[in-house]
Amino acid sequence: MAQVQELRVGIVGCGKIADGHADVLKFLPGARLVAVCDRELLLAEQLAVRAGVPAWYDDLEAMLAAENLDVVHITTPPGVHLALTRQCVAAGAHVFLEKPLALTAPDCAALIEAVESGGRRMSINYWPNFDPPAMELKSMLTRGTLGDIVHIEAFIGYDLSGAYGQALMGDPGHWVNRLPGKLFQNMMDHIFNRIVPLFPSGEPDIHAYAYKRRAAVMGNETDKLLDELRVVMKSGGVSAYGTLCSHARPISNTLKVFGTKNTVEIDFNLRTIILAGSQNYPSSLGRLFPPFEMARQYFAQGQKNVVAFRHHEFQFFAGMSRLLELFYGALRTDGPLPISYQEMLSVAYVMDEVIAQVYPATKGGAA
Amino acid sequence: MKILVTGAGGFLGKVIVERLLAHGQTDLRAMVRDTAKADGIRQIAAKYPDATVEIVAVNLRHPPEIPAAIAGCGIVIHAAAALKGSAAEMFMDSVVASRNLLDAVMKAPATRIVLVSSFGVFGVAVLDRFAIVDERTPMEERPENRDIYSHSKLRQEQLFWEYRAKQPYELVVLRPGVIYGPGGGHFSTRVGLNMFGTFLHLGGRNPLPLTFVENCAEAIVVAALEPTANGEVYNVIDDDLITANQYLRLYKRQVKPMRSIKVPFSVMMLLSKVVERYSTSSKGQLPAVFTPYKTRVMWGGNRFSNAKLKGIGWKPLISTKDALAQTFASFKAEPPKLK
Repeated sequence: MAQVQELRVGIVGCGKIADGHADVLKFLPGARLVAVCDRELLLAEQLAVRAGVPAWYDDLEAMLAAENLDVVHITTPPGVHLALTRQCVAAGAHVFLEKPLALTAPDCAALIEAVESGGRRMSINYWPNFDPPAMELKSMLTRGTLGDIVHIEAFIGYDLSGAYGQALMGDPGHWVNRLPGKLFQNMMDHIFNRIVPLFPSGEPDIHAYAYKRRAAVMGNETDKLLDELRVVMKSGGVSAYGTLCSHARPISNTLKVFGTKNTVEIDFNLRTIILAGSQNYPSSLGRLFPPFEMARQYFAQGQKNVVAFRHHEFQFFAGMSRLLELFYGALRTDGPLPISYQEMLSVAYVMDEVIAQVYPATKGGAA
Repeated sequence: MKILVTGAGGFLGKVIVERLLAHGQTDLRAMVRDTAKADGIRQIAAKYPDATVEIVAVNLRHPPEIPAAIAGCGIVIHAAAALKGSAAEMFMDSVVASRNLLDAVMKAPATRIVLVSSFGVFGVAVLDRFAIVDERTPMEERPENRDIYSHSKLRQEQLFWEYRAKQPYELVVLRPGVIYGPGGGHFSTRVGLNMFGTFLHLGGRNPLPLTFVENCAEAIVVAALEPTANGEVYNVIDDDLITANQYLRLYKRQVKPMRSIKVPFSVMMLLSKVVERYSTSSKGQLPAVFTPYKTRVMWGGNRFSNAKLKGIGWKPLISTKDALAQTFASFKAEPPKLK
């Protein structure tokens, strides 16, 4: 077997999501997490100690100078992504960024430009799109199983009382509260990165509506945070609904794609992909069959998941592992990137438009 | 002399305020992060009309808020710490917060700091089973093998000693065992764990390092006011400690019946080896919630000494028997948890 070049990887930004990156890198062949950095040295230290990383820094410049990194994972808040990317690229490192890519679409464009002009490459952590059901959808689309796409519905639930939710609701100064689009800006990549790749090219029509459903008044900055978002979009002959919902239970994470031949629904939490049932035989008798057909599909999906579990491929961040394998593979071979820059820019454009519509006062504002 | 208590809205912090007042201290400042927690302090203060209890809202993550909050205080009792959250959040609220406090104190006129540390800082995994844990027991050398709470408390305490090595200041460290009382948790992990509706009783005949919240607060106040305590560490545990078996039996009798399965230590060690091995071989598919290291620490069993604390005049305000009766009565009266 050919020897895979081992990539030296660093992480900058040692908050909660950095743990996920470190966990994935621990078991990823051909890559080694060799250093971590946070402007708060104690945070860098705790991650390094727990993850068995030999070096930690509170200065990115120092880490880049000392560690000769092939790739840097940028897991800081988005306001500094552009500046940090420039530093990494100048030091010769490729970058892998947490979403959102930057604060605004123009900043995203500048970031990509910085990477390209520096002769480096980048990707973004759209990991659910690389979970097995999402990969299966890509394969269905290639095979033409759905026919032409007519409509898309992307739904993500959010738990304001969960671990992430509490962190931002309990601290009015939390960086998410300072984003122009607040909670939505930190989450809606995962809505639009499922819709945009299925849209025809060109700028879509976007109509966004948002409101605050929770009754609690804290008397601080968190009161300005809207918690329910609905977006209607259309591009060419394809329409879409995007939803971010903080109150419905269970907390869902789904994508439904309606095609001229078939309709399919992915449940990211259950890791299932199911074709919609339909009545193929006439009369009441015909209506007896589809639920059994649906049950058969769910059973098959369950079996597939059991097999993945047995093969140790059922980790929470299985999608991130896959995405990183593809990204690192592209770096080694100079092959195609797993996510196109155009897709990132299109998502950023939609997000800017949504933020401008639902938080008009902060339009053009910065975190 | 004004005394500041950080984390004053918390389970232990409130009682520290009360014990300070009971010791005749009349000039207190209570630091809370969330003013919603100030009501409990006001109720306590109302019982001591001659004392001044000032309440200040400060987030110790934000250094600019700290100097004004510590100004004029001769003693800072640092009880604020994170009990839950992600690793980064716990380190922010326990370790980074402490660093920010220390930076401010170093610039202020001479102040004694009294740190509420934890039993979690001891490196008990390397001790023999049932060895005595006292103030001379070494600190943990493998924090990465422990839970995040113990890791963060260890780093927090180390920070206070590191600062003291650089710039001498008055430091008193208290290491409480399991603090319990009305409003607190029902079960320390040292007794066992609730897994899918069944309680795994893992503590067996191990003595529990219990300290009733009032006894613990009393210890902190006695040490804080003791002139000879500078540079000393005190373990905080009560007298007449009971075993995990006894705790569970009393709980079932006095709070509510519940199903439990007793898992012997040897079986738990074996299970921990399997879990750890599987976690690694499955590339983290299941987390290593049990490891032989953690199991030795938590359920290996130790004995404890509070002799040093008694040497500075502390004695429990309430016996373990009465404290447990009071605690279990309050557990029983708690409304069922709403989800």
